[in-house]
Amino acid sequence: MTEINVMETIPEKMIIPLKQHNGDICEPLVSKGDVVKVGQKIGECPSDKCAAIHSSVCGEVVSVEESSHPSGNRINSVIIHPVEKTECESFIPFKDSGKEQLISAIKEAGIVENYGTPTQLVLNPPDCDIDTVLVNATASEWVGHSYETPLEYASQMLDSLRLLMEAAGASRGVIVLRNDDKDSIDAFDGLDYEGKTIMVAPLIGKRRVDYYFNDQDTDIIVVSQDKIYGKNIFEYFTYNVTGRKVPFRCTPASAGVAICGVKSAKAIHDLVNTGMPYIETVVTVSGQVNNPQHLLVKIGTPFRDVIEACGGYRGEPAKLISNGVITGVAQYEEEVPVTKMTTSIIVQGKDEVLKDISKECIHCARCVDVCPVDLIPNRIAALANQGRFDECKQMYVENCIECGRCSSVCPSKIHIMQLLQYSKEAIAKAYEDLSEKESSNLKSGCACGSE
Amino acid sequence: MTLTISAPPHIKQDTTFRKITWIKFLALLPVSLVSVYFFGLYALALILAGIGMAVVTEVVIQKAFKKEVTVTNGHAALIGLMVALLVPGEAPIWIPIVGAFFAVAIGKHAFGGIGSYIFNPVLVAWVFLQLAYWSAMHPASFPELGGISDLFLENGAGMLVGVSPIALAGGLYLILKRYVEWKIPLFYALTTLVLALLIGDKIGHVVTGAFIFGVLFLAIDSPSSPVTKNGRIIYGILCGLLTVIYGHFANYVFAVFYGIFLANCVASFIDNSTLPRSFGEESLLQRKYRLMMNKIPLEKLGVKIDD
Repeated sequence: MTEINVMETIPEKMIIPLKQHNGDICEPLVSKGDVVKVGQKIGECPSDKCAAIHSSVCGEVVSVEESSHPSGNRINSVIIHPVEKTECESFIPFKDSGKEQLISAIKEAGIVENYGTPTQLVLNPPDCDIDTVLVNATASEWVGHSYETPLEYASQMLDSLRLLMEAAGASRGVIVLRNDDKDSIDAFDGLDYEGKTIMVAPLIGKRRVDYYFNDQDTDIIVVSQDKIYGKNIFEYFTYNVTGRKVPFRCTPASAGVAICGVKSAKAIHDLVNTGMPYIETVVTVSGQVNNPQHLLVKIGTPFRDVIEACGGYRGEPAKLISNGVITGVAQYEEEVPVTKMTTSIIVQGKDEVLKDISKECIHCARCVDVCPVDLIPNRIAALANQGRFDECKQMYVENCIECGRCSSVCPSKIHIMQLLQYSKEAIAKAYEDLSEKESSNLKSGCACGSE
Repeated sequence: MTLTISAPPHIKQDTTFRKITWIKFLALLPVSLVSVYFFGLYALALILAGIGMAVVTEVVIQKAFKKEVTVTNGHAALIGLMVALLVPGEAPIWIPIVGAFFAVAIGKHAFGGIGSYIFNPVLVAWVFLQLAYWSAMHPASFPELGGISDLFLENGAGMLVGVSPIALAGGLYLILKRYVEWKIPLFYALTTLVLALLIGDKIGHVVTGAFIFGVLFLAIDSPSSPVTKNGRIIYGILCGLLTVIYGHFANYVFAVFYGIFLANCVASFIDNSTLPRSFGEESLLQRKYRLMMNKIPLEKLGVKIDD
C-alpha cells in the first residue's frame, strides 16, 4: 500500500476558488477582514447545480478577487492569510436518517467527484432513478487515502458504498478495480462483509455485472477490469461494466447508473462519521521534484507550496501540469490552488517539453490500433479539420473517451484528440441549436435529466 | 521562471515519420551491400543513381512549388533506393534515374505527396519501367530457391533485390519494434504460401528475395494500404491472392509487384467497407447468429441457459 504523507507546513496564503466543480459559481459568504475557522462555509450555493465551499484553514480573509484556477481560467476566489492555530468549527457526526438528509448533507459538505460533477447530482439526478452505484477505483487517484491497512481500505470502501447506495436509493452497488492493481484486489478478495465473502470477479467479454449479481446472489459485488482513462469515459465505462448504453451528451444517470470516485466515497464516509466537510484531498506529486510522493493537502494550497513540501524542483522546471500527463492541463503560473478536482501535479524539465510540428498523416494506423473504443481517429481528425462534422458523427466520434492515446502514438504529431474534441463540441452545439419542431424527427436530448 | 503551456498529451512516443523511414532505409542496407558484392561496383552506381535522382527530384519539385523542402525525412532517398533495388543488375545506368524521377515526380508528388498517394511510388516506377523499357528491365534469370545456401546468396538472381533473401530480415526487426504493422505481412505471406501449396506451385519459386521484399517493405507502405483492423487483414489476403494468380501463370517475381500494385487500387475501397461499428453494437454476423438462435426453442428442448 502506498504511503501518504500529510502536508504539515502552512502556506503564506490560501486561494480557495468559489467554483471547484462543473456548474454554477458559489456566492461568497465572507468579505475582507473576516476571520474564518477550519470547516467554515465560505461559499453558498445559489442553485442546485453547485457544491458548497468551505475554508480549509484558520485565518483572515485578505480579499475576494479573481485568481487563477487549475482549469486555466480566472475564477472569483477567497484569499485567506492562514494563522498557526487550528480552531475548528465543531463538526457533528451525521446521524443516519434517510436519503433526503444524506443528499442535503452531501451538498452542504461540498463533495465533488474528481471529474467535476457535484456528488449529490450524481446520486440524486433530477427526474432520474438510480438503481446501480459504481465506485470507480480503476483510476490512479485511489492511492490509499491515509488508510492504515489494505483491510481498512477495503472495509471502509464497502461501508462507503453502502452509504452511496442509501443516498442514491439504489439497490445494487459495484466497486470496480483495475486488473493489474494487485494490492487492492488482494485487499478485497476473501473479505467477509455482512456475512458474505467478497470475491473479486473479472469482467470478461459478455460477463458483466448482471451476471455476477445473479451468480453471487448479493447486492454488492467487486469486479475488476482493464484500466480505462480519459476525460470522458462514462459512456464507455458504464457500457463496459453494466452493458447499458448511455446516449451522447447524457450522463450515466439516464441509464440508471451513478459513478463515484474513491475520493468522494471516502469523503462521504468521513462526513457521516466525523461530520467533516470536503476540505482536504490527496495529490500525487511526480516528475522533476526532489521528493515525489502522495501528499494529503488542504484544498486551496498553491501548487508552489505543495512542491516545496516535496523538496522543491529538481533542476529548472519548464512545465507544470495538473491532473496527469495524458489529459492534464499545463499551468501558466505556480500560484494556482489545489482544488477538489486536482488529483496530481506533474513537473516536467526543459528537455521533456515537446516541441513538435504537425505533419501530414501517413495512414500508419497506429491510432486505430490503440483506440480503446474502435474508432478510426486519423480519418475523423481529417474530417473534423475540414469541418465535416456530420461525417464525424457517422463515424461515432461521440464514443471518443478523450484518452489521448491517438495523439501520443502519432508519428506525424497530429493533435488528433483536440480535433476529435472539436468535432464533438460542434456536434453538440448543432443539436442544442435545433428548435423543438426541427428536432422532432431527430433523437436528441436525454431520456431523463442531463447535467 | 517561465512555464510552457500547451495542449495535452504532455508525453508522446518518440517515433516520428522521419525515424521510421530512416530505419527502413537502414534495414535495406544489408541487401544493398550483398548486391554490390554479387553484381560488382556497377550495382553501387545503380543504387547511388537512384537515390541521387530521387533526392534531386524532390528538392526541385518542392522548391518549384514553393513548399517546405522535406528531403531530410528520408522518404525520397528510401524511394530511390527501393527503385534501384528493383532493376536488373545489368540495366543501363539511366534506368534507375528515370525510375526514381518517375517515382518521386509522378508516383509521389503528382498524387499529393506523403500520405496522399494511392499507389506505392516504387511500384508506379517499376510498372512504368517494365512497360516502357521491357528489354532493359527483363532480368537475365529468375531465381529459384534450391537449397539453404540460396537463402544467403542467390546465384540465379536477376534483380538487385533478389541476391539474398536472408539479408532482408531487417524487415522483421521493423515489425518487432512496431515501426510497421504486422497484419498485412503476416496474412500476405500466409495466403501466398498456402495458395501456392494448394495449386501445386513449387515453394522454391515463390520464396525469393522479391517476395520477401514485397511482404516486408512494399505491402506495408502505409499511405497505400488500408487502416482499419479488418481491412488490413483483407488487404493482406488480397495481395496474396493476386500474387498467386499472376505467379501461377507467369513468374512469382513479377507477380509480387503486380499483385501489390493491383491491391493498392482497392485499398480505399476496403477501408470504406470495413469501417468499425460503434462499441456495444452487434456486427452483422452477431445479429444473424442471435436471430437464428432466437428461433431455436432451447427451453423446450430441455437445454438450460444460465445468464
